[in-house]
Amino acid sequence: MTMSAQQTMTIEVFRYHPETDDEPRFQAYEVPYDEDWVVLDALNWIKDHVDGSLTHRWSCRMGVCGSCGMMVNGDPKLTCAAFLKDYYPRPIKVEPLVNFPVERDLVVSLDGFMEKLEAVKPYIIRDDVNDTSGGEYLQSPAELAQYKQYSMCINCMLCYAACPVAGHEDEFLGPAALALGHRYNKDSRDQGQSERLDVMLVGEAIWGCTFVGECTVVCPKHVDPAGAIQQAKAVGAQEYFKRFVAPKGAGV
Amino acid sequence: MKRSGEAFWWALFSAGGVMAALFVPAFVLVTGFLLPAGDEAVAAERTAQFAAAVGWWPVKLALLGVLALSFVHCGHRIRHTLMDLGLRRFSGLLKVPCYGGALAATIWAAMLLWRI
Repeated sequence: MTMSAQQTMTIEVFRYHPETDDEPRFQAYEVPYDEDWVVLDALNWIKDHVDGSLTHRWSCRMGVCGSCGMMVNGDPKLTCAAFLKDYYPRPIKVEPLVNFPVERDLVVSLDGFMEKLEAVKPYIIRDDVNDTSGGEYLQSPAELAQYKQYSMCINCMLCYAACPVAGHEDEFLGPAALALGHRYNKDSRDQGQSERLDVMLVGEAIWGCTFVGECTVVCPKHVDPAGAIQQAKAVGAQEYFKRFVAPKGAGV
Repeated sequence: MKRSGEAFWWALFSAGGVMAALFVPAFVLVTGFLLPAGDEAVAAERTAQFAAAVGWWPVKLALLGVLALSFVHCGHRIRHTLMDLGLRRFSGLLKVPCYGGALAATIWAAMLLWRI
């Protein structure tokens, strides 16, 4: 790309290097404007041509890996899918995802998120796990449709940055983890719903959700975590009332 | 850890949401616009017929159910809004005014229905 007669635009980037900086600051860069470019292209251009110390996560550049989620002008977005032309000629402000601790520049810590994902036991649980004598567990298209939408999550964490509850309630498991737990509960091959509900229905783990719905708005894969959470709450409510009609340990 | 009792309140809230969304707009349309529409004398007669239908006890009971659940829905939403506004640590205490208010409104509605 030649820089002569090239239109440019301003990208303001959140910078923070904890080993040298007392507090975060914003740094403005002039980047070439190309209508085919996305915010991630601009960040990579800055790193390659202007400032190699800029730190950001990315991998696939095609909305599959879920690594490049950042706040773009205040909205959680996959930067590989946020086109410069939708902002040009106004400046773009890029910040790390909110509701997460910042490690360096645009990189946030995944620790809390990973703990919450693991907590919901996001794998198929069966009593007969070692018994394969009956062959594979068959599933009809209708059974697949029960959970397929919720299995499309790429763990980009945009939903956590969009959710006001995730920002102030530590106990809340958050949209992606709850949708994933619900995904396995709805899987006809799974027998682990009760174990998962023991995690999901405790304290504010799921009940912290007040159905703001922003998780579903920002989800780049149309997972609809808000819908999954409401369905999971309904299951939780059914289980609550079942206690009164069926004795404990009656296999409910 | 023990599963939260919030399921109970959420179930009432959820049922109230369905009731409020399904029936309340219809009530507003019927009692606020359709009954009083047109000629005054005809409207008065129409309203009297409607009141007579409401006076039938199964209708009263159904109305009370819709109203009670809608009140709980309202109280639950107010409670969670207050929690979101910074009163999260009072989540237990907030149950008293929020669900108590819904109970008071239900008793008030029952008394009004009783008089019809």
